[in-house]
Amino acid sequence: MTAVAHAPDKSSGQARWRSDAASLAARLPSLVVAAKQLAQSVMHGVHGRRRAGPGENFWQFRPFLSGEPAAAIDWRRSAREDRAYVREREWEAAHTVWLWTDRSASMRFASPMAQATKIDRGVVLGFAAADLLVRGGERVGLIGLTRPLATRGVIERFAEAVSVDEGLNAAPAPLPPAQPLKAHSKAILIGDFLSEDDAIRRCINALSAEGAEGHVLMIADPIEEAFPFEGHTEFVAADGALRLRAPRAQGLRQDYLERLRRHREAVREACRDRGWSFAIHRTDRPAAGALLALRMRLEGPMSRLSAGGA
Amino acid sequence: MFGLPLAFTAPAALIALVLLGALYVFLRITPPRPRQTVFPPLRLLFGIERKEQTPARTPWPLLALRLAIAAAAILAMAGPIWNPLLFGGGAGPLLMIVDDGWPAAPSWDARKALINSRLQGAARDNRLAVLLPVSQGGVDIAPADAARNAEKLRALEPQPYTPDHMAILPPIRKFLAEFPRAEIAWLASGASLGQADPFAQELAALAKGHEATVLLGKDTALALTSIEDVSGALEAKALSVGPSGRKGMLRALDAKGLTIGEAPFDLAGRDSATVTFDLPTELRNQVSRIAIDGERSAGAVLLLDERSKRRRVAVASGATADVAQPLLAPTYYISRALGPYADIREWRDSASDPIVSLIGEKPNVLMLADMSVGAGPAHDALVKFVQDGGVLVRFAGSRLAASADDLTPTELRRGGRTLGGALSWERPKRLAAFDRDSPFFGLAVPNEVTVSRQVLAEPEPGLTAKTWARLADGTPLVTADRRGKGLIVLFHVTADTTWSNLPLSGLFVDMLRRIVALSAQSAPADQAQSKDEAAAKTQPPKSALDGYGALGAPPASAQPIAADFTGPADAAHPPGFYGAGEALTAVNALRPDAKLTAADYAGLPVKADALAVAAPVDLRVWLLTAALVGLIIDALASLWMGGALTLRRAGPAGAALMALLVAVAPSPRPAHAADQAPISERDKEAALSTHLAYVVTGDAATDEASRLGLLTLSRVLSQRTSLTPGEPIGLDPAKDELAFYPMIYWPIVASKPQPSPAAVTRIAAFMKSGGTVIFDTRDALAARPGGPPTPEALWLRKLLAGVDVPELEPVPRDHVVTKTFYLLDGFVGRTTIGQTWIEALPPPDPHDTQVHPARAGDSVSPIIITSNDLAAAWAADEDGQPLYPLFPGGLRQRELALRGGVNLVMYTLTGNYKADQVHARDILDRLSH
Repeated sequence: MTAVAHAPDKSSGQARWRSDAASLAARLPSLVVAAKQLAQSVMHGVHGRRRAGPGENFWQFRPFLSGEPAAAIDWRRSAREDRAYVREREWEAAHTVWLWTDRSASMRFASPMAQATKIDRGVVLGFAAADLLVRGGERVGLIGLTRPLATRGVIERFAEAVSVDEGLNAAPAPLPPAQPLKAHSKAILIGDFLSEDDAIRRCINALSAEGAEGHVLMIADPIEEAFPFEGHTEFVAADGALRLRAPRAQGLRQDYLERLRRHREAVREACRDRGWSFAIHRTDRPAAGALLALRMRLEGPMSRLSAGGA
Repeated sequence: MFGLPLAFTAPAALIALVLLGALYVFLRITPPRPRQTVFPPLRLLFGIERKEQTPARTPWPLLALRLAIAAAAILAMAGPIWNPLLFGGGAGPLLMIVDDGWPAAPSWDARKALINSRLQGAARDNRLAVLLPVSQGGVDIAPADAARNAEKLRALEPQPYTPDHMAILPPIRKFLAEFPRAEIAWLASGASLGQADPFAQELAALAKGHEATVLLGKDTALALTSIEDVSGALEAKALSVGPSGRKGMLRALDAKGLTIGEAPFDLAGRDSATVTFDLPTELRNQVSRIAIDGERSAGAVLLLDERSKRRRVAVASGATADVAQPLLAPTYYISRALGPYADIREWRDSASDPIVSLIGEKPNVLMLADMSVGAGPAHDALVKFVQDGGVLVRFAGSRLAASADDLTPTELRRGGRTLGGALSWERPKRLAAFDRDSPFFGLAVPNEVTVSRQVLAEPEPGLTAKTWARLADGTPLVTADRRGKGLIVLFHVTADTTWSNLPLSGLFVDMLRRIVALSAQSAPADQAQSKDEAAAKTQPPKSALDGYGALGAPPASAQPIAADFTGPADAAHPPGFYGAGEALTAVNALRPDAKLTAADYAGLPVKADALAVAAPVDLRVWLLTAALVGLIIDALASLWMGGALTLRRAGPAGAALMALLVAVAPSPRPAHAADQAPISERDKEAALSTHLAYVVTGDAATDEASRLGLLTLSRVLSQRTSLTPGEPIGLDPAKDELAFYPMIYWPIVASKPQPSPAAVTRIAAFMKSGGTVIFDTRDALAARPGGPPTPEALWLRKLLAGVDVPELEPVPRDHVVTKTFYLLDGFVGRTTIGQTWIEALPPPDPHDTQVHPARAGDSVSPIIITSNDLAAAWAADEDGQPLYPLFPGGLRQRELALRGGVNLVMYTLTGNYKADQVHARDILDRLSH
């Protein structure tokens, strides 16, 4: 086996990635539309009319417990009966959700087997999730790019931010900045997570250092799981920096799949250790399913944690 | 090697073939170019332990190709040679005896190649060698190195004779004694000429203990000999060494080498074939040699001299010149008998003595029928004729019997008693068979020939020797005697049928032919001989054949031949023509009676068909070429397998390959491309249509005026005449080809430098080859009659100093240039006062009173000089508006200027056609009546 690693040609390489970035920025409007449609379809599919009606901020009444401030009593409700009720106010104190989408070079890859590049899928999923969350009353921010927003035009705002960042930052990092998120905030990390296991673990640990919980959605190209290569093949890293020449690619398949499994296991382990959820989405599958699953998971542990935290 | 004619000069290199095994393993694992793919999780692939070490294998055709390339390279390094020279050799020097007589000439190139290869083989073995051509003779020999032998071989040419082999025996003996381990190779011709047989025996004895080989060629040499008794027809005998089935063509050539006749020959398994040329008698005597077509050797050329030419026979009779009854005239039978074979001269002029006048015609043979020669001028002339080599043939008759003279071979019995009753036999006598000594030997004697009367010879001691033919009872019928160089033959019967019927028989014809042929052996009458006896003794060589049978100047070593030289050619007397003037003697490589027999090389090992050995071929070049081609194919195949050579790229790759092949392949005729400078587009254009041209002077205003002027003139020409000229072309006489332009306009700018001498030479050549240059000094206003010459005129004079300018005159009014299209008085330009000069016409014939409307010389004037600035007067812009003012001016002047231009162009194109055309009506009138 011959491994050839060499620095990419600076000028051409950077120009190439820059053009890709520009193309991402150029694609953003369509991605925004796709994200909106995706969010709509998921909203309708799961909640339907249950969410209709003006009582959006209301959560529930519960009997007043002694020791609670009297001001908490909802007198209108209490007036109907003898008992005093307290109006729950949880919904009114919305959670902050931090969204991060991997825009590194490896994400800008789509094999012939895939429906879209990983970055497109990641951005669409991220924006759609943000839209859903905002509709659900949460505040969503992009890590490192925006403050938490709760506007209905969150997708457009995010797209703007991403577009600006694409222009400024030529080579986005493959992992989010390792800064702790505040407790009770949530993180949604969407990316291919092909970095070192330890780096991913460190990153997750750092993000959750103050108790933030999160969800990791690993986007994978089907070719990365299938590994259908045979014969003499030269593999090139997505950013062109690394090359690997395999005289018999089929001979690598078994080992590679094992490594890939271990790698994912390690990432899953890192998530589980911090109580984060982990899911894998392949770009040959429809995005809606992934968004639905993401939303279910967002609701699931969140309620548990919030119950636990309360 | 391995039964193949293959050898290696460096066999050690073949050990490298073992490396092919290693190469096989190595090549097997060298993969083709990989398929490239982007793979984001590349990091995961790093560090994977390879379970299977063997990568994708090189496809076996590629593997085989690469192994073949390597094998070819290794084999090439080993220096393979196809058809190597495998000689036994021996440690001593090589003695190479070469038959270099003419029998070796036809295969000389192959022989030389064989000698060369043998010498080189010896040189490779570090052996010295001796190249010993048989013609070298008894010169001592010593071994020499390869370079000197090669030099000697280069100079070796076949000799036109067959040198004596015995002459080289002593040096060989000495050499073999000195070098007991010498190897002997004798490249023999195969013919037994030049004492080859005894030489072979001697050599076999000498070569005991030596390695000796006789190398023989396959094909047998052919030769030509003359047939001695040829008197009339042109005949030759084709010989071959031993029986042969060869066939071919004989050519009869005249003295200039032109073919006069051809005759096929076919040996058909025999060793000789007689060929007869069927030629008219007029042509027959012009034949000076006969050659075998395609056989390049001196032996295959038969030179014919005067002796073999048709004889001139003069016939005179003692009878009165009454030819009213020709059948009774004795000369009739002689003439009829010899007519087809010789030139017959009969005496017709009754006013002079017949004998004297006939001898004056220089016959070879003089026949006197029943004529007695008394003392007198006729007798003296006859004696001199015979003494000088003439053949006198006399026939008996009543007159001779009556008065015999001394010009008979033998004494005759005198008087009427010789004839008459006493000698009237009851039965006529028949002829006896001819003696062996007789020239008639071999002729069949027909039974019906009878002799009823004859003159009798006096018995004398030498009579038998003088007798060529006798009757059955032994009495001489034909006697002959030599007198000086000549011969006197007497037929004891008459030339008509009164005494015998011999003249009616075919035998008579044959006998006369033999006698006439004998005249060839006696030296022909030559006036030079009488003048200078010493010169007559020897004849200097005039031309000689070389070994290949080509007639040329004699070599310096050629010696004069004695007058009685009969033998075949030798070293001092190469075959050829000898003598001076017209009387040449031919010496041939073979005697007329020669036979070619195969030499007997018994006792010596003979390697037949040695010449057919193919020359050694160095295979290195081919192997390396094959390796190179293989590399190219391999490269292409690798590219294709690696995916680099897609269909889209196949075009450029193929083109690159073709370019490479073209570059590698030796261009068959590289020299030709360099021979000829490429023809410029402008020249092609100029050659395809007629263009007016002007000389670019370097002065921009003048050049523009020239260009526009000629442009306007071209336009006018295409409007008014059938000529449609192309765009005017500016010329640099130093560089541009002038031959395409009928007329070149040259405005003189005195301020510009003179053209180079080379340019002047080209202009002169242009004028010589029929072009016309119009020099325009444009100084009509500045010049004064009788005044100092203007700068332009000086400039022009200087230019024309190097040119052969004909005599000039002002254009006369009747010059054809004023009539070629328009009828003009003169040629005007911007000015009208300038004179126009043209080549002076020959002055009109003062006696010719007829009025000629036009005169013309034989050709177009090469030069016209004007000072009226023609081009500026013609010049107009695109709208036809004139560009330059005229003096004195006016539309009429401009029109006249253009008409003058039209006339000038027409003059250069049509020449004196118009001058002839004015007479067309007269000519037609004359033709119609």
